[in-house]
Amino acid sequence: MILKPRFSSYALTRAPSRRETCSGFTRTSMVAAAATAAMGKSRRSSKKSDRLEQEIAENPAANGDVEEASGRDEESQPSDAASLSEDESSQGSPVDSEEENGGVNGDEDHRSGEESDSSEEEVPSRNTIGDVPLEWYKDEEHIGYDVAGKKIKKQARKDRIESFLAGVDDAKNWRKIYDEYNDEEVELTKEEVKIISRMLKGKTPHAGVDPYAPYVDWFVWDDKGHPLSNAPEPKRRFVPSKWEQKKVVQYVRAIRKGLIKFDKPKEEPRVYLLWGDDSSAAENKRHGLSYIPAPKPKLAGHEESYNPSVEYIPTQEEINSYQLMYEEDRPKFIPRRFESLRSVPAYEKALKENFDRCLDLYLCPRTRKKRINIDPESLKPKLPSRKDLRPYPRTCYLEYRGHTGPVKTISIDISGQWMASGSSDGTVRVWEIETSRCLRVWNVGEAIKHISWNPLPELPVLAISAGHDVLILDTGLGNAEEQARIKELLHVEESKPEEDGGSTPVVSWVQDDKYDCIRLKHLKAVTTVEWHRKGDYFTTVVPSGDSRAILIHQLSKKHTQNPFKKLHGLPVSAVFHPTRSIFFISTKKNIRVYDLLKQKLVKKLETGVREISSIAIHPGGDNVIVGSKDGKMCWFDMDLSSKSYKTLKAHPKDITNVAFHRSYPLFASCSDDCTAYVFHGMVYSDLNQNPLIVPLEILRGHTSSDGRGVLDCKFHPRQPWLFTAGADSIIKLYCH
Amino acid sequence: MPKHYRPPGKKKEGNAAKYITRTKAVHYLQVSLSNFRKLCILKGIFPREPKKKVEGNHKTYYHMKDILFLAHEPLLEKFRDIRAHKKKVKKALARKNRDLADRLLNREPTYKLDRLILERYPTFVDALRDLDDCLTMVHLFAALPAVEGERIQVERIHNCRRLSHEWQAYISRTHSLRKTFISVKGIYYQAEVEGQKITWLTPHALQQVLTDDVDFNVMLTFSEFYVALLGFVNFKLYHSINVKYPPILDPRLEALAAELYALCRYISAGSGRLSGDPQAITSVEDGQHEVEKTDTRTEESELRLAQLQHQLSANEPGALMHLMENTDDMDDEDHEKKECRNLFRNLKFFLSREVPRESLLFVIPAFGGVVSWDGNGSPFKESAEDITHQIVDRPTQGHVFLSREYVQPQWVYDCINARIILPTEKYLVGRVPPPHLSPFVDNEAEGYIPEYAETIKRLQAAAKKQVLPMPGVESQDLDDPQTLLVEGIIDRTEANEAAEKKRKLTMLEKQYHDELNMELQGITYSTSLSNKNLQSSAENVKEDTVTTLEESEDLSKVSMSRKKRKLYEAMKIGQERKKEKIKLLKERKKNAEASKTG
Repeated sequence: MILKPRFSSYALTRAPSRRETCSGFTRTSMVAAAATAAMGKSRRSSKKSDRLEQEIAENPAANGDVEEASGRDEESQPSDAASLSEDESSQGSPVDSEEENGGVNGDEDHRSGEESDSSEEEVPSRNTIGDVPLEWYKDEEHIGYDVAGKKIKKQARKDRIESFLAGVDDAKNWRKIYDEYNDEEVELTKEEVKIISRMLKGKTPHAGVDPYAPYVDWFVWDDKGHPLSNAPEPKRRFVPSKWEQKKVVQYVRAIRKGLIKFDKPKEEPRVYLLWGDDSSAAENKRHGLSYIPAPKPKLAGHEESYNPSVEYIPTQEEINSYQLMYEEDRPKFIPRRFESLRSVPAYEKALKENFDRCLDLYLCPRTRKKRINIDPESLKPKLPSRKDLRPYPRTCYLEYRGHTGPVKTISIDISGQWMASGSSDGTVRVWEIETSRCLRVWNVGEAIKHISWNPLPELPVLAISAGHDVLILDTGLGNAEEQARIKELLHVEESKPEEDGGSTPVVSWVQDDKYDCIRLKHLKAVTTVEWHRKGDYFTTVVPSGDSRAILIHQLSKKHTQNPFKKLHGLPVSAVFHPTRSIFFISTKKNIRVYDLLKQKLVKKLETGVREISSIAIHPGGDNVIVGSKDGKMCWFDMDLSSKSYKTLKAHPKDITNVAFHRSYPLFASCSDDCTAYVFHGMVYSDLNQNPLIVPLEILRGHTSSDGRGVLDCKFHPRQPWLFTAGADSIIKLYCH
Repeated sequence: MPKHYRPPGKKKEGNAAKYITRTKAVHYLQVSLSNFRKLCILKGIFPREPKKKVEGNHKTYYHMKDILFLAHEPLLEKFRDIRAHKKKVKKALARKNRDLADRLLNREPTYKLDRLILERYPTFVDALRDLDDCLTMVHLFAALPAVEGERIQVERIHNCRRLSHEWQAYISRTHSLRKTFISVKGIYYQAEVEGQKITWLTPHALQQVLTDDVDFNVMLTFSEFYVALLGFVNFKLYHSINVKYPPILDPRLEALAAELYALCRYISAGSGRLSGDPQAITSVEDGQHEVEKTDTRTEESELRLAQLQHQLSANEPGALMHLMENTDDMDDEDHEKKECRNLFRNLKFFLSREVPRESLLFVIPAFGGVVSWDGNGSPFKESAEDITHQIVDRPTQGHVFLSREYVQPQWVYDCINARIILPTEKYLVGRVPPPHLSPFVDNEAEGYIPEYAETIKRLQAAAKKQVLPMPGVESQDLDDPQTLLVEGIIDRTEANEAAEKKRKLTMLEKQYHDELNMELQGITYSTSLSNKNLQSSAENVKEDTVTTLEESEDLSKVSMSRKKRKLYEAMKIGQERKKEKIKLLKERKKNAEASKTG
């Protein structure tokens, strides 16, 4: 039993490689182990020894556990035991029933076994001398002492004859073995003998063991980066290489013979004819991206001379003034004058400048840039001479004075004889154009926003927008017959608005007794009034009026319509087409063109300006100009596109109004910068030819007041004359 | 989704793919920044401006193709080798393995730049086009102090010196120098080689100071490339005039720091021209330089031997070369070259000690003059009688030879720029010379012509008229210059000068009259104007026209497109600035004159 504890401990330490140990047993050691184990057990009760045998036999086969097989004989789990017992029963072992009977005891044993986990024996050996050679006790009578301190006596030695006789008598004698250590005779059971015989044959100790059971790989190989090899370093790693030695010898000999030289003479940089024949397809040698040569440094001018002429040398004050400049603007080089060449010192910045050039060469990004070297005058467009485009208004011919506030609006009678003007002082004046005589004055009481003559010559009626109201005013011009007709036309029956009474009317037509006119009362302030070409309809714009912003009124029937319920953006003004039944509404951003007969949107003109201030339609009807509050004027050719054909940026300030001449190819714009521009705007009947726009004249003369300049401009209906109304309460007439 | 979102797996496109920032390029090439710099300088790779800067405005962008070009450069590998080698040396030194360190230091990896040069400049003309910076830098390095232990290797400086002299010798020999200009920064030269105008700046012959505000690594890398480039360029140029390169110089002259002269002699000897001169030089001996000579005696003898050998070998094809030279002279010389070659012909110069010898030794022969200097190794002495001009830069001249004129060095440069022999009165010793004007400025384009430029112009015109009727005489002179006596030459020059003076005087008179007339007219014009203004009767008409003119300008601006209008305005601003400058110059001039007279 000496081997036993060692064995078990070995099994424990090598737990991960249990299988190896099992297979690593030599046959003889196996046999010896089994024999000694059997010897140890046989001393105990037969039942126990039986069980030991079972476990030796069964356990390794069942779960490959040698440890349990050798050391913890009682430990096997009940289930295991059960399965084992079944196996045994099938083999028809005589101990089966006992095993089964002793199930409970087995459990108990199992527990006790667990308590003494060490490999100590429950049944101690008889010998107590310990692990010392038996030779030491050869001559002694005893083999150790028992618990009581008495000597454990050796048994008396049987002589040969005696033993022989005993063997002859006893049929079981062949099974008896003398245990030298414990000095006793042990009788092997039949099973033990069987095991030994199997071992001697080189078979597994137990018949039930399958040595060739399929291999179950318990190790998880996945994701293991290294082989599980514990192979020791091979010998070749520690032995000097023979090949190397040979090579070394070779080198040594070569060095001795002088074949290998260590100190080569340094090679001088050799120059040779690098560019032999240039013509040989040098272009093919060029590769990579196109080379952009660095710009050459600026060549020295007169001022860099060591002896420049006097005018290049700055005075002391100028040099001092350089100190006040920004560092970037400061001149890099201050010219100096030396009387003779010998007095010129070394240039201290030479190295620095060269270094800067180097930096420029390798650090500055290079691009090819087109440098235009042209006369700036050639950039100007070629325009026809202004002389050929005469007549156009050029000089101030007349001034109409009388208003006390800024003249907001003017309007010229279709006959070209009269002019009406409205001012923010609340008066409306009618002037005779040629004499600048003020014919009549009406004091409306409120600032006049817009004023407009009826386009019919036989109906000299003014439409005036003042505050919330629009007045249709009889000017009293024309003969008696016409006056009578006007009287009749401008009569409103008082009962009319009351008839409509139920819902609040958009506009109420009221007879004004003071001036003997019609007053159209709007809900909010009216900015513009424009007549239809036939003089019966007119439109008013109420910018804050939401869905009632643009109204069309009929004078003969005293009737008001509101056809444009939905507008996109705030309306600025509305104009009738000069010939067709088309209606233009300008909102702040764009112009919407409606067909009044079909009652639908025809076109939308996109201006791209910040805020539209005014609009004018070419008498032909296909071109529109739009003035904006950022000083731009856009010309639209409606047949061409919905975008502007040309945008002219002439005024630095808001454009207040734009106007077309009825017959001459002229148009004008006036602005808050106190100027009015006159342009030549020729529209050709040939559709392929774009309109010709030539700026002709800047008309100055008005003075600014309160930040406003020229507020309105209108052309004379027949003459190439322009009227401008200024914020300085003067109206000017410019003639050709 | 961000505006420039690129879905994963999709390649970059456009500028993002085409251009790479410098940091990324450095990472891409796996080199250090300093090596990257060096590589860029040697390879001539420069950043480019992408249309759209994808990674931000303040970054340097390289074209991806350029970077790939660098990535395939064998030099890159070489740099890595050098770095590894340095590490090895360092390691050996740290281990106190002196032996290994020495051995390693002997086998330092080196690289050559010839392939790079050919790659960057596939044709010779390309190289010439880019030679300006190269020459300026080489000349600057040549002027730096060659002191051991400074940041620049002495060898490099000597190399630069040699190359610059070789270049100057070539230019001087082929008479391709066109313009010179003494500025405060140094002397500018402009030469014309193979139709390319090459301008370079040489610092004044004074010791330069190495400043600290300069990164010498960058400078040295540039100079490394430039030295290699100039070497090859010189080889090609020398080859084109049938002279062996590298030249072997007369060691004695070299020792006397007159390399340029030595080179010139070498070239002329090589091309089989002047051969009798050496005796004159060998006769010169001085005690001052004897110490130096004993030091370099061994070297000297070796060099002399080499030179002798060379001359022996060169003797054989000498005749052929001579022939070639002559044909060269005959056909492909344009008018300008001829003019340059003959400018100082028949003039003999002598340089005093104080004048910039190197520059003048370069410049005078380039325009056909003969020159000597005060010092060792000079071809002729100060006492030589046929010297026509002595160049001096001192307040007073003690001993005066009556047969020659004593002029300041500026006279030479002004003559070259004007291409005529200017009168010497203004340049005489002790006087303040007239202003030295830049030949690189186009006065007409600039809009302001300095006074002296006008005088020179008049003189030029006069010279042309004079020369025209006399070609027969001159050609005769040129036909057999040997037969002409020195006195004869002097007579002729004197006569020429007298005639010139006369011509000049008449010209001046004429000019004066013209000017007077002009002035009178101008005055009358202006006075009449003022009178009219005073009368102010017809004023309106005038003003009207003025306003209309202004208006028309305004009006045409109205109908311009915005782009054109801005361009127009910018150009106008530029013109205004120019006008301002001219106005300032005129004002200063007026003030100066007023202070002079008042």
